[in-house]
Amino acid sequence: MIEPVFLEYTNALDEGFKLVPALTIVGMMLLFLGIGFFFRVAAVDDLWVAGRSIGSIENGMAIGANWMSAASYLGVAALIATAGYYGVGFVVGWTTGYFILLIFMAAQFRRFGKYTAPDFVGDRFYSDRARGIAAFTTLVIALVYAIGQGSGMGLMAEYILGVSYEAGVIVFMAVTVAYVALSGMLGATKNMAIQYVILILAFLIGLYAVGLSQGWSTVLPYIEAGPETAQLIDAFHAEFAEPFAVNSFYMWTALVVSLILGTCGLPHVLVRFYTVDNERTARWSTVWGLFFICLLYWGTATYAVFGGLLYSDPVQDTDTAVTLGEADSFMQMPGADGDALVALTVQLADMPEWLVGLVAAGAVAAALATTAGLFISASSAAAHDIYTNLYKTDATQREQMIVGRTTILLIGVLTAIIALNPPALIGEMVAMSFAIAACVFFPVFFLGLWWENATQEGGIAGMLAGILISFGAIANDTAIPMYTGVEGAVSTELATIVPGLGSALVGVPVVFAVIIVVSLVTENPPEDVKRLVRQCHSPEPMEKLQSAEDAAADDD
Amino acid sequence: MYEKILIPTDGSEVAENAVTHALDVAEKYGAEVHALYVIDVDAVDVSLGTEQVQRLKDGHFDEMPELQTEARDATGHVAEQGEGMGVEVVESVVAGQPHRQIGRYTEKNGMDLVVMGSAGRSGIRRALLGSVAERTLRTTRVPVMVVDIHEDDE
Repeated sequence: MIEPVFLEYTNALDEGFKLVPALTIVGMMLLFLGIGFFFRVAAVDDLWVAGRSIGSIENGMAIGANWMSAASYLGVAALIATAGYYGVGFVVGWTTGYFILLIFMAAQFRRFGKYTAPDFVGDRFYSDRARGIAAFTTLVIALVYAIGQGSGMGLMAEYILGVSYEAGVIVFMAVTVAYVALSGMLGATKNMAIQYVILILAFLIGLYAVGLSQGWSTVLPYIEAGPETAQLIDAFHAEFAEPFAVNSFYMWTALVVSLILGTCGLPHVLVRFYTVDNERTARWSTVWGLFFICLLYWGTATYAVFGGLLYSDPVQDTDTAVTLGEADSFMQMPGADGDALVALTVQLADMPEWLVGLVAAGAVAAALATTAGLFISASSAAAHDIYTNLYKTDATQREQMIVGRTTILLIGVLTAIIALNPPALIGEMVAMSFAIAACVFFPVFFLGLWWENATQEGGIAGMLAGILISFGAIANDTAIPMYTGVEGAVSTELATIVPGLGSALVGVPVVFAVIIVVSLVTENPPEDVKRLVRQCHSPEPMEKLQSAEDAAADDD
Repeated sequence: MYEKILIPTDGSEVAENAVTHALDVAEKYGAEVHALYVIDVDAVDVSLGTEQVQRLKDGHFDEMPELQTEARDATGHVAEQGEGMGVEVVESVVAGQPHRQIGRYTEKNGMDLVVMGSAGRSGIRRALLGSVAERTLRTTRVPVMVVDIHEDDE
């Protein structure tokens, strides 16, 4: 990737301990904990009286908070600034997937109505082996995705607390683990909605402040940044807006396809649709979720433009790689600057320290909300899907709690260790987990919901093929070079056709073919499974609150 | 002395160990026994996922058949044993944090004795879980009888 090495120059972000930003972060954490605690002690009054459900707007905010991680908050602007047009692929990829979810999957998952993503795979493909593979994949996705978040937290800690990146990763990961493992209920929908409001406010206040102070924008910076973009292209770097200058057309397409399909295969995104009140709420939650996500994504490109201009010519007299003459243009900024660009933009515009701190705190909120969701999806894969369903069917709640909390602890430690020396930029790390989700989960989810003849053998063979392709691609161009010190990919040809970031373009059609072919030559699924699938996409809407399994049972 | 005895149970060996003690007391005093299963929202959070906690709060317990079975099995076990001894058993399922819910139930229904098991965990497991029995002691005002699972070892 584009990561030039700078020996003397480290980071343009003004490091050192800052009191007000540090207090902002601490205050924000306490607020989340307080809300979590408040909603936790609030008793569940009657288990059988429905009608207290939260609506689609609040649900949409929860989708947004769960979705928008450090990768969205920091990473996308970084990729657009350093890779221009290519980076816009992340914005396209990370939003379009919601249309597929909306049309093909949200309401259908609501009808299925179980607990975890491996539950769906295990029940639909009537196989514990399939459940096991799905649970394993869930754990891997959570880990890879969380590494990017750890990296983002480390960068923000450098700025706010003035500690080293390594210390920052460790401190914030420890806080996150404690937060999730001990406070619990962190992701209760109300808390998620509040986290969304905080992170989006922090992001937008930073954007508006920079736009107003520099006279670049007023009401809608999203569409007012045109002249600045033109200036950026003319004065500094033509490549910025030139399609496929940094990466090929193929790579761009592969990336976008991976991100779109990965969105539809992410366990922590899908489980939300199991529990909404009804199908209508499932659909409208998706629409609202997409809107809330776009509020941030539209801004990332604007941040990249403002940030690029300021990086080349800062208002505040900070040394950047460009002003020091270490890089010809902002597009060659070092990885750490890129990943800190959102906060850096505000700093370079000479905004007050508390404002920069607020923007950085927003990044931490984004990373925290998503990491919490990921850790929970990992712990449920271990405690519910592996331990309880496969190993000890009569496990008590307390035992599940031990397994769940131990998993959170372990995955937190592992994430912190790998994030100390991340193999790629934040956005790239997260893109890899999307490629895995797209190759392994999207085909079994999609065919599982829509094709009743998909068999257990087909599902298992498909997931294994998906694992082989997506893991293989990442090992080939990122993991093996990183840990053996070899320059470049093991097989350059392979890396060009099946890149680790975008293995789904090749992977998903292959996995679809594997599932279909294997399903055709193996024995049809049992009748009750077929009925379950029919119920999931039947044009007759089911009665409110009836899940597919009940409906299938009623048919008898 | 005791008219209403509460037995919190999660269906584990630890909890069932206390059942015989409770039923024996109930038989002697002619007391009514309430078997209470608390769906621990913290356990649901890490094992089934946070969304499922929301589902419980929304009052959609009817959509969670696996949890229902688990709860009914646990309280049903107490009811069965009680029937054998001629003790009347009321079964209940609530959700929340176990010690708080035990305290609440005790107050609301005028329980005058709580009999519960304790696993006697130590070290890391204790740090990860804490002790429901210990917390219950602190949150309820009625007498609590704690039956340790290790009683026979010593």
